[in-house]
Amino acid sequence: MYLGYSLTPFGHHPRAWEHARNVEKLGFDALLAQVTAAESAGFDFVLLADRLGLRPAETPSSVATPFEPTLLASALASKTPRIGFVAAAAMAQHEPYNLARRFASLDLIGKGRLGWLAIPSGDPARDAEYFDVVTGLWDSYEPDAFLYDKAEGRFFDPEKMHVLNHKGVHFSVRGPLNVNPSPQGRPVVAQVFDGAGAPIAGDVLFLGARSVEDLTAMTEDAVQAVAACGKKRADVRILANLVPVIGETAEAADAASAALAFVEADRAEQPLSGIRIVSTADTIAGRMTELAASLGLDGFTILPPTLDMARLFVADVAPKLARRGSVGEGETLRGRLSLPHLTHPAKEA
Amino acid sequence: MSERHMKLGAFLMAGGHHIAAWRHPDAHADAGSDIAHFIELARIAEAAKFDMIFIEDAAAIRERNADLASQAARSTAFEPLSLLAAIAVNTTHLGIVATASTTYNEPYGLARAFATLDSLSGGRAGWNLVTSASELEAKNFAASGLRPHSERYERAEEFADAALKLWDGVEDGAYLPADGAAFADRTRLHPLHHHGKHFAVDGILDSQRSPQGRPIMVQAGASDVGKELAARTADVVFAASQTIGEAQAYYADVKARLAKYGRAKTDLKVMPGISPIVGATDEEAKAKHRALQELIPDPVGVALLASYLSIQDLSSYPLDGPLPEMPPTNLIQSRQQLIVDLGKREGLSIRELARHFAGARGHWQVVGTPVQIADAMEERFAGGAADGFNVMAPLFPSGLQDFTTLVVPELRRRGLFRDDYEGRTLRQNLGVGAPASR
Repeated sequence: MYLGYSLTPFGHHPRAWEHARNVEKLGFDALLAQVTAAESAGFDFVLLADRLGLRPAETPSSVATPFEPTLLASALASKTPRIGFVAAAAMAQHEPYNLARRFASLDLIGKGRLGWLAIPSGDPARDAEYFDVVTGLWDSYEPDAFLYDKAEGRFFDPEKMHVLNHKGVHFSVRGPLNVNPSPQGRPVVAQVFDGAGAPIAGDVLFLGARSVEDLTAMTEDAVQAVAACGKKRADVRILANLVPVIGETAEAADAASAALAFVEADRAEQPLSGIRIVSTADTIAGRMTELAASLGLDGFTILPPTLDMARLFVADVAPKLARRGSVGEGETLRGRLSLPHLTHPAKEA
Repeated sequence: MSERHMKLGAFLMAGGHHIAAWRHPDAHADAGSDIAHFIELARIAEAAKFDMIFIEDAAAIRERNADLASQAARSTAFEPLSLLAAIAVNTTHLGIVATASTTYNEPYGLARAFATLDSLSGGRAGWNLVTSASELEAKNFAASGLRPHSERYERAEEFADAALKLWDGVEDGAYLPADGAAFADRTRLHPLHHHGKHFAVDGILDSQRSPQGRPIMVQAGASDVGKELAARTADVVFAASQTIGEAQAYYADVKARLAKYGRAKTDLKVMPGISPIVGATDEEAKAKHRALQELIPDPVGVALLASYLSIQDLSSYPLDGPLPEMPPTNLIQSRQQLIVDLGKREGLSIRELARHFAGARGHWQVVGTPVQIADAMEERFAGGAADGFNVMAPLFPSGLQDFTTLVVPELRRRGLFRDDYEGRTLRQNLGVGAPASR
């Protein structure tokens, strides 16, 4: 089972800040402490969802970090050796060259532990072209292109550099990228699955269904969409979002849930949503294992409603989940998620 | 009033500023993709109490010809903002200044990115505003090619104003106000509603106000509109000047423009580039320089010179002959003139100019002992030509270490450079005024 940790300053509940009324929680050190705890508990990646590209008009959101997510990922990656980072960036807000370059650079800083949560623009044809440009730019150099041959004065082999020369409907991008190739071939690409026929370019799909019934249907849709795009099911990780409400006893969990007073109106402030499971740590771990098996899910992204619930999940639930053995330094995010090894297009022939 | 101190920046670049630095026996050839190398360089600069590190930017490979590109370490690099985000949280006092383009970004996204760098660093970020003059960059963004100089600057003016207003739109204490009724105090938030010729921006940044108010603004533009934009908006200007006369003229020119924007002459720091090659003796310094110059392949040097002159190709002219007459260009006009002037003044051939510019890349180069280099810096600092310098070590880390261990103590002995940081923010250390929020 694969596990992601969605990072917010106070938790995903829109009034979670009332339970931890401390401006230090908004700072880098407090966010790093959350990430380090998740890393120690064996989480595979941290998700920096950034309200899925929604920019504040009048007032900031308490459920988003007060940092631009790709740069926050760089800072966090420089302070952690193992955990992966999936950072949101909207295709309507970045030129494809800039985005490809940013993530290529992040992936060097994080030594192959970076992923991009691609936020769609609303135009599927434009987004499909955008993915082609970004992928093509990431393939600008073959993995063995860089020679560093001081005696011959040859930094890289020019035969192994590929100029994109993309001229499409929406974008015109010459290339090549001016960043060394990714240690994991390409950064991991993730998407929020919305079932609406958007192109599936991703290695990871996040499912935001709010009930088990909806999640069952959405998982089936996702599996079909993957097949429809010509991808193998085994080459994609399908992860459900999960809001855990944990108590020492089932009654305590119910009381905690009642105290948090989840209301539907709060969803508007929290663009990420997920199934909510209210119970003891043991029961939640069991339910997660059952759901993964019965629905064919690869894992979950945890949306802790509060910082207390984050601590309880890390301490009490995560150790009970069946997970692969401990992960060493130097492993890429692609490796951690057991995604297929990428072969550069020039090597496929 | 305390004695006037030099401001020092360390201009970082992979293996070094010298075009062939990566081939040097001491160089880590893969330094450009090694984050640990850059963090080490930042810590060397911070230990020496430098004001800032500086990173340049190009949103494209710098050379069209694949064979030439493959011989230059500058062909690939970290994207500057992601690089500085990692450096920000691994340093404590050092300013971090990144270059970013107003032509290929949009104001909200870039203002947000710099606000993040400023928060991550606790108020140590700066933005070097450029308008991106290269054709190769233009080709990564649009089929229509490079926009004219005047149009790029018109966009830059509007861009800078929008960014400044976004940063100033959040007051101190806007998040988690003491009265506690809401997460944010709307009376301390001032959404921007900008609807101009180039941009529409509505909203607020999702960052707290920076400890230094807002990021430091840096420019290098040397054209007339560039200098005017700097006088209006910049805290620091970098400049490429060869002779003290050129440097004095530039200094006097930008300082004279400040008054009409209600700014004092000390509100803008002029920090020209210096490429120091330091040796314990004059002979040792010259030998270090020669060793680097001999590593430059002629085709690489000549192509670099052509790119500085903003012309396609110089390879059809004799290597040992003079520069041909230059057509007017809408690109970086000022740098072209600087090269042409130097060639005429010193009677240099294309090969000699190529080696000269490949080495220091158009900046002022001083080869000598710590005393000679400090003399040259002091002459310009005291002579109305500079408030400080952007130090471009030819080779990293050794060229920067030569400067910090040999030249910096000599500057301190003369009372020209600080013993310790004055404050924690870049604005405090530079001694430029803090802006009020809106």
